[in-house]
Amino acid sequence: MTARPSILHADLDAFYASVEQLLDPALRGRPVAVGGGVVLACSYEAKRRGVSGAMPAWRARERCPELVFVRGSFGEYRRLGDRVMEILGTYTPAVQRISIDEAFLDVGGSERLHGPPEHIALQIRRRVREEVGLPISVGAARTKHLAKIASQVAKPDGLVVVDPAREREFLDPLPVRLVWGVGPVTGADLEARGIRTIGELARASPERLAGLLGAERGTRLRALAANEDPRPVRPGGRAGSVGAQSAFRRSAPTPDLLAEVLGHLADRVAGRLRAKGLAGRTVTVRVRFADLRSVTRSITLADPVAATLTLREVAEGLVAEALADHPRERTLTLLAISVSALTAETEVQLELAVDAADDPRRPGSRTAAARLAADRSVDRVRERFGRGAIGFATVALGERAGVPDDFRELAERDGG
Amino acid sequence: MRLTCPRDELAQKLGLAGRAASSKATIPILGHTLLRAEDGRVEVAATDMELSLRLPLDGATVDEPGAVMLPRLAADLVRSMADGPVVLEHRLNEGQLSLSGGGSSFSLNCMQAGDFPELPPDVGEGLTIPADRFQMTADRVVRAASRDETRPVLTGVLVRIGPEGLVMAATDSYRLAVRHTDLDAAPSEVREAVVPARALQEALRLITATRATEVEVVLTETQGVIRIGGVRLTTRLIDGQFPDYRQLVPDRFEHDVAFDRGELIGVLTRIGVLAQRTAPIRLRFEQGQVTVATVSDQVGEGRESLPVPFSGEVLEIGFNADFLREGVESVEGDEVRIGLISPLRPGLLRGADEEYRYLLMPIRLTA
Repeated sequence: MTARPSILHADLDAFYASVEQLLDPALRGRPVAVGGGVVLACSYEAKRRGVSGAMPAWRARERCPELVFVRGSFGEYRRLGDRVMEILGTYTPAVQRISIDEAFLDVGGSERLHGPPEHIALQIRRRVREEVGLPISVGAARTKHLAKIASQVAKPDGLVVVDPAREREFLDPLPVRLVWGVGPVTGADLEARGIRTIGELARASPERLAGLLGAERGTRLRALAANEDPRPVRPGGRAGSVGAQSAFRRSAPTPDLLAEVLGHLADRVAGRLRAKGLAGRTVTVRVRFADLRSVTRSITLADPVAATLTLREVAEGLVAEALADHPRERTLTLLAISVSALTAETEVQLELAVDAADDPRRPGSRTAAARLAADRSVDRVRERFGRGAIGFATVALGERAGVPDDFRELAERDGG
Repeated sequence: MRLTCPRDELAQKLGLAGRAASSKATIPILGHTLLRAEDGRVEVAATDMELSLRLPLDGATVDEPGAVMLPRLAADLVRSMADGPVVLEHRLNEGQLSLSGGGSSFSLNCMQAGDFPELPPDVGEGLTIPADRFQMTADRVVRAASRDETRPVLTGVLVRIGPEGLVMAATDSYRLAVRHTDLDAAPSEVREAVVPARALQEALRLITATRATEVEVVLTETQGVIRIGGVRLTTRLIDGQFPDYRQLVPDRFEHDVAFDRGELIGVLTRIGVLAQRTAPIRLRFEQGQVTVATVSDQVGEGRESLPVPFSGEVLEIGFNADFLREGVESVEGDEVRIGLISPLRPGLLRGADEEYRYLLMPIRLTA
């Protein structure tokens, strides 16, 4: 942390929709939604008409009859996102990309070469607009959390620099939902108790917040509201987690749905773990219900997991727990799996078949060895013939096979 | 109670008995050793409720019969006394005993012998086995047993006595050792039980200490008894299904490579020095030779080659360095043969004598 606002958060505006509008000039200035049965992303013009992400297509059309739906151009999103990251990289090596369309930069050491943070932010915005053709908003502040809030406030197509001497002036009146980690549920809880602004959250007593949100969360959110965020920008580096999520139209949580979606997510996440030579011990699932409330459940296993079926089984168990705790929820709109506590794949001591019941979670067991062997074969087939060449029947033949895999890949994040 | 006993005998027997005493503080009296003196027989005994030992005290003179609990440090005291007779004296129901010999005298707090649990009865028809056969079988096998209490049946050794002789098998799921020994007077019925490895290890120690020439083994529904001379070892048996070693040991191999046992132990020891706890020893078999290597990020690399009669496609397989070396050491004779199938299947170590087998699962090497 420095006394200059040298942490930047650069965030492409309505990225997927912006790319579509870039590629097809006929879409510019119009409300555009990317997706099929569900809105995966939409342009600002659409947002102004009340369309938002995760909204079912029928409701989006209701709100905005002129809405244009387009299928995703996965390759282009990746290519253009990478180009933007390259531009960011010319200003500092300390670039931490946290998703396909956003990154943190630490430009504290770049002043001599490139100028103060404010100048760098302006240059980034200009170059991304001119060289790539996309609008990008930037927030500059003393900490990561504040920079991200600033970039949110700057949108669309804007720049906000927070003067370190006037941070409270900036933060205090902002709505509490801008704090990272405050979603619709927590936001509603806080607002119901009269905590509507970030200032009020920062001033709330720790005991009161602990009572409302739990001790750990209460402390963390209050610290963020008070702008105590010592996290450094971690360039490239090893991701702390690997995850994927899948949004879909409102569906009942049937065993078929869960097997298909979780099977698909497990396939993606485990595949990426294996590609990086990693395995993880903590598995977290997120379940989002119809009203956008979401809950997470997680478990830390005794041994790291990287096999697709095993990950799916663990995730199914966690989702079942979450559903059991919310028996009145009858529809889901999103499922996500994330694996953290990552370690490099180790050389595993294999085990003799001494147990009648073979535990696939023990890395040396017969089942674990068999699953990993199968996974490796699948990985090799896909490397040669493409992802679609082979897959689990429950997923490939399921109803949700509509949205292209590659598009889903983009919703995946490697978290820091 | 009043008793006189030669110092060496008392020290040795207290030391041996004390190994069955409990080291946990949950039931204090189980950490002490019972000494019971009756006309004609004196014995010391200890138990932790799983294993119990009763040993006769030879050469002792009983002036007054009785029983007393000896705390653990009594054994240390007696061992440190000057040579000569040791006198033990205790008044019934008193909380102190006196111990004197070699010019020194001690008064020790002691617990009440009446509170000591009743030991399992020494009953049952046993099979007498020559001590050396018992040792030969148990010694090699018991080291492969597991120490992990979460899978109790693997912490025991399968002991089977029947028409085919004596068989013992132990496994910790990474390696499995099994040995078969012929018996001159083999019984017609099969008796089989899973005996805690610890009990067998104590039996082996007692055979050496007492220089016994034979042992009598009793296996009942509930307990095992091993009689070594006048010593009685009783142990609970372990419930559960012991893995069927006959199913686990492959009967066919792709390769069967013979090594000079001494040479191989040398290589494994040298390379093993570098192998960190989880780093495997890699064996790379190719035409006419095997290269033994290990790589450790922190420490470095080691590599050594041996000429061996191997032919065919290159085979690279990893093993835990300690498990492999222990396996090779446990084989008798000058030669050790290693049977291999593939890098993911176990290797089988045996010597010229086919009666002993050591099966070892590999470590899966990353690309």
